[in-house]
Amino acid sequence: MSVRDIRNGTPAPLPDRGERDTTVSRRALLAGLGATLTWSRAPSRAFADTPPDAPGPPTTPYLADLAAHGRRLGTRGGTIRTLIAKARDVRYLSVYGYSRLIGYDADLNLRPDVLERVDVEGGRFTFTLRQGHRWSDGHPFTTEDFRYYWEDVANEKALNPDGPPTFFRVDGKLPQVEFLDPVTVRYSWDRPNPMFLPALAAPRDPLIYRPSHYLKPFHARYIGKDAADAKAKALKLRGWAALHNRLDDNYELNNPDCPTLQGWVPRTRSPATRFRFERNRSYHRVDTAGTQLPYVDTIVMDVASQGLLVAKTNAGEADLMFRGLSMPDIPSLKEGEAAHRYRTNLWPVARGSEIALYPNLTTADPAWRQLNRDVRYRHALSLAIDRRTLNNTLLFGLGTEGNDTIVSDSALFEPEMRTLNAGYDPAQAAKLLDAVGLTGRDGSGTRMLPGGQPLEIVVESDGEAEMVLDALQLITEFWREIGIRLITKPQERTNLHRRSIGGLTVMVAAQGLDLAVPTAIMPPTELSPAQPEHYSWPLWSMNVESRGKSGEPCDIPEVRRLLDLDRQWRDTDDAGKQAAIWREMLMNHAHNTWVIGTVAGALQPVVGAERLINLPKRALYSWDPTAMIGVQRLDELFWDSGADKRAEVR
Amino acid sequence: MITQILRRIVTMAMTLLVISALVFIIIKLPPGDYLTNRIMELRATGDASSVAKAELLIQQYGLDRPVWQQYLMWIGVMPGSVGFSGLLQGDWGWSFEYDKPVADVVGDALWLTLLINLTAVVFVHLVAIPAAIYSATHRNTAGDAVVTLLGYVGLAVPGFLLALILLFYANRWFGLSIGGLYDSALTNQPWTWEKIRSLLAHLIVPTLVIGLGGTAAMIRRMRANLLDELAKPYTVTARAKGLPPLQALLKYPFRMSLNPFVADIGNLLPHLVSGSVLVSLVLSLPTVGPLLLEALRNQDQFMAGFILMFVAALTLVGMLISDLILVWLDPRIRMGLR
Amino acid sequence: MNRPAMNGVRPASGHFVDPAPFEPESRPESPVATASAWRLILRKFLRHRLAVASALILLALYATVPFVEQLAPYGQARRNGDFLYAPPQGVHLFHEGRFVGPFVYPYRAHLDLDTFRRDYKVDASAPQPLRFLCRGDGYDWLGLVHADLHFVCPPKNGTLFLLGTDKLGRDLFSRMIYGARISLTIGLVGVAISFTLGLFFGGVAGYFGGLVDAAVQRLIEVIRSLPELPLWLALSAALPPNWSPLLIFFGITVILGLLDWPGLARAVRGKLLALREEDFVQAAELMGASPTRVIGRHLIPNFMSHLIASATLSIPTMILGETALSFLGLGLRPPVTSWGVLLNEAQNLAAVQLYPWLLLPVLPVLVTVLAFNFMGDGLRDAADPYH
Repeated sequence: MSVRDIRNGTPAPLPDRGERDTTVSRRALLAGLGATLTWSRAPSRAFADTPPDAPGPPTTPYLADLAAHGRRLGTRGGTIRTLIAKARDVRYLSVYGYSRLIGYDADLNLRPDVLERVDVEGGRFTFTLRQGHRWSDGHPFTTEDFRYYWEDVANEKALNPDGPPTFFRVDGKLPQVEFLDPVTVRYSWDRPNPMFLPALAAPRDPLIYRPSHYLKPFHARYIGKDAADAKAKALKLRGWAALHNRLDDNYELNNPDCPTLQGWVPRTRSPATRFRFERNRSYHRVDTAGTQLPYVDTIVMDVASQGLLVAKTNAGEADLMFRGLSMPDIPSLKEGEAAHRYRTNLWPVARGSEIALYPNLTTADPAWRQLNRDVRYRHALSLAIDRRTLNNTLLFGLGTEGNDTIVSDSALFEPEMRTLNAGYDPAQAAKLLDAVGLTGRDGSGTRMLPGGQPLEIVVESDGEAEMVLDALQLITEFWREIGIRLITKPQERTNLHRRSIGGLTVMVAAQGLDLAVPTAIMPPTELSPAQPEHYSWPLWSMNVESRGKSGEPCDIPEVRRLLDLDRQWRDTDDAGKQAAIWREMLMNHAHNTWVIGTVAGALQPVVGAERLINLPKRALYSWDPTAMIGVQRLDELFWDSGADKRAEVR
Repeated sequence: MITQILRRIVTMAMTLLVISALVFIIIKLPPGDYLTNRIMELRATGDASSVAKAELLIQQYGLDRPVWQQYLMWIGVMPGSVGFSGLLQGDWGWSFEYDKPVADVVGDALWLTLLINLTAVVFVHLVAIPAAIYSATHRNTAGDAVVTLLGYVGLAVPGFLLALILLFYANRWFGLSIGGLYDSALTNQPWTWEKIRSLLAHLIVPTLVIGLGGTAAMIRRMRANLLDELAKPYTVTARAKGLPPLQALLKYPFRMSLNPFVADIGNLLPHLVSGSVLVSLVLSLPTVGPLLLEALRNQDQFMAGFILMFVAALTLVGMLISDLILVWLDPRIRMGLR
Repeated sequence: MNRPAMNGVRPASGHFVDPAPFEPESRPESPVATASAWRLILRKFLRHRLAVASALILLALYATVPFVEQLAPYGQARRNGDFLYAPPQGVHLFHEGRFVGPFVYPYRAHLDLDTFRRDYKVDASAPQPLRFLCRGDGYDWLGLVHADLHFVCPPKNGTLFLLGTDKLGRDLFSRMIYGARISLTIGLVGVAISFTLGLFFGGVAGYFGGLVDAAVQRLIEVIRSLPELPLWLALSAALPPNWSPLLIFFGITVILGLLDWPGLARAVRGKLLALREEDFVQAAELMGASPTRVIGRHLIPNFMSHLIASATLSIPTMILGETALSFLGLGLRPPVTSWGVLLNEAQNLAAVQLYPWLLLPVLPVLVTVLAFNFMGDGLRDAADPYH
């Protein structure tokens, strides 16, 4: 099959075409980890408008029970306009479009999504695909697509020199992968692999399957290296691997020819200033009335410069908009609501802390290293921050003050995690600093290091985050009270990374914990040096990542405990044990203040047109695990076509 | 004459070579390169599969080689992974950011840049010439002061701020959609009357903002030139003969005062590209300016390099052409002695 | 320029009689002493009223530079946490018909959680008189003396926001005054650099001609054929990341200066090419003067006035350049305060729509740029006193 055939929308006749007539008798079977839903009525009418040779939903679709979430059944049609700051950002549709093999629902339970069922026994994961599931171009989606990924992509040196991603490794060992039949695939490890399913549900889909029928004609193994390279040369690409990478595009969403399983299929090639996506008619979700999702036919993304996103939203030029808007934009957005008939929903951001300070425990300078490692010093810095003022100034007083930790919506939360060592007590802070031995002061009242130089902390930050710079301005004042001079140093992001890895930073200001509404089964990687990059201990992280080849081994017992706990979490699939590990790690953080948190609980404006139904007024917003608005199901939004129609739907 | 032109072309080629080296140095001045930066970012987000892709590209585009080798490969005098393929061979390189050949990315933007800037140039002349004539003939009157002042205000207000303000009120008062070259709903549609109208409406703000910056300088020079010419004996003679004032003005002094502008054609271009960057950025216009800025920021080296080389080449050609026109206009000017 | 000839054009003036007294040294044939040429320039310049007014304005502006700390009612980083985005506060003289001297009415702040805006109500019942020559926020004057004297201070337990406050509750007026220090000096320092470079390259090219000239010409051509933006970008990206804000400031001025010289160099070269054919140069050379002496003693004084005029005209370009660089996030960054930084903070919809006073820093930029332009024009007209 050549590229051209697919682009023209005329796929070759499929062998299983006969099955199409049996759609009425299909059965929804939702087993595995999630709750089983019952089937309400036959979805015969919904497909009346699909031409006979067009792709359709699987025989056993995912049944979306909207009523159970207090949502309305919708009608199909219409276009959602949204705005992006640069052409590359179209890829975020694959994040908040959120179709995963297995994914989180709105309550953050893992449930099979693209897969019909998932069976887990220790280290053995058996995935069952949906009968009659098709790619967006109508080709069947089978375990061959999993095999193609595993053998010809993940383990192909030319495409992935380092082999499959790390969540496939347990103690460095890869699983045994079996393709039992066209709808069953099994991954087996000797031991449990709790990293596996959360990785599949991640905001960035690891895509452990690929459209084999589409990609094989470009793979050296199937057409020979010379032929594959020739195809690449014809497109001015260097080598077949580059061409394969380019065509294999279920994340970047730049290749309209690449079949997908997601709700919408890209229809525009870059460069462009307007990107169009059309509903995938093979999509696997169906509502209880039998209407195939997504309800909305088309998504349109207009590219506008970052500085204009708010202005354009305010002028009613977007029907749905969230990425690129932030809390300071709320007054502007509210102002345009009435005139342009949209609503500014305010979703709490689930993040450990809007601004956190990371004292670098592995910094190169010995004097600073010693100081940063002193828990009394870190506590003093934390106690000297007037979080109430930060809250009032930056978050309209609506935020939560305290450590950089998980938010109270998480079942793992305990109040102490946020409040321990995070009050405002400058007197106690000054006492602690005196105890550390920082008693000498220079002419301007700044404390001095033992070497005689002033206690002048250079805090580096990613210069693009305006709120962080504002917060630092305030923290400068708070710390001046206890005799510490703070110098703000905005850096280019890549530069900051480079300096951090090089051990050159003394302290970094950045956003706090990303995964801040965890359940026990989500990996606690961010809390220990197991995280590949962490501003509090970049060299230890490097050491763990390189398995001891670079960086420095961790030499603080409390942090080693964090690493041990992370290891223990990976060794078990017992959610109870995992929850205990999470709690211990979080309390370890609260006791030791590895990261100095400030205020959490910013509000993310999620602007939606008034007539756009099923967009929650309030829900948690985060990257991981909610995939921005992903778990709230973009495919369930629909356009209310008027009051009369509304009666009909009811 | 011909040999002179040939000589100029040879020196032009040499200059371009020097510029290409300079451009490459400038682009490579900041530490790191696009791909290593990207790899670092991907590592931080734990995106292993993309890291592999990026590492592959590093080798293919020779970013792991010394800078001088990269330069020679870029201009096409040293073989890369697919043999000789550089500027000399007409391969403009690869944009990492867009994952496409540079030519594909830049193509449309070049035309739009030209369109917007030409509109601005036309606007500048339409406004500045009458204004300059008025202020030269009404020297030291209130009218002269007002015209000059207005011109300078245009020069003094930072364009990026003016653009945002105009944009906002154009939307509030006239319902013009914010930013872009036309209403985004018309993006992938054929050129209908409605689309053309939308385009024209959207051109007003950028034209004003880009143009206003140049108007003051133009008025000032034009006015000074005109005053010089008006003071010359032939003008006095013409007036003494009783030529009607308008004719006495337009026939010779005006024509002569245009001369220096011809000399400036070459310099117009780089100026316009720089000048429109900020405005294009604010107004979200798809011109080369924002592309260049983005490419320089991301160290998307081949893209930035190509745009810079293209502008430089155009400038040199522009300078040559303006010299030729000058020689043709005024034989007293010798080639090579400008 | 060309005044006598202009008068001749006007037939109405008829018989031309210069009202000024006859001064023999002003005759073009006898430029006896350089001093008199300067005096002529001054005289001619003083006749240009707009230019003189501009010069006075600039003088006043630059006079504030050393006394920023005293003039600003608040310190540079002083926040007023209860008054975020407060609109400008009017200064009144009469309360209920009675003269009380300059005073302000206090603000009552209220956060409206429906619109997410802060409303400020003026409490017109309680006038708060301003204090003059008073003690306020402390500062280190010129980095030497610690003091807290201000020209004007907010009332006791009150506020004085002449031009409103920003997102952190910092007084915009004070920040603009602090910004002036950096924005105004950046132009001067930048021009000094470009002036030196321009003089050097232009002088060398114009005097020696030939191969040297060709080389300089090519260099100018190369620099001018590159848009200035990438050069800005690349050079500011190359500034070491661990520099202090002050060093960054100097770095930026150097960059602005480094890119500005070709225009000046061309002017110098052109003038020199014309002048070196003059008899007095030949005479000097025949008498055995060294090139340095000929350039320095005979040529440069001849067109210095011109150069100063063109340099004056390029200062505003530098000031605007700094705002552009700050806008791109390449120039100075907060917490350093310059006009460019302030304008960059106003570069969003909210400023235009809800907090228009944040746009006010455009005014000093406007005034300065205009003043420099008018003064430059006047200087240029005056630079050729013999016409």
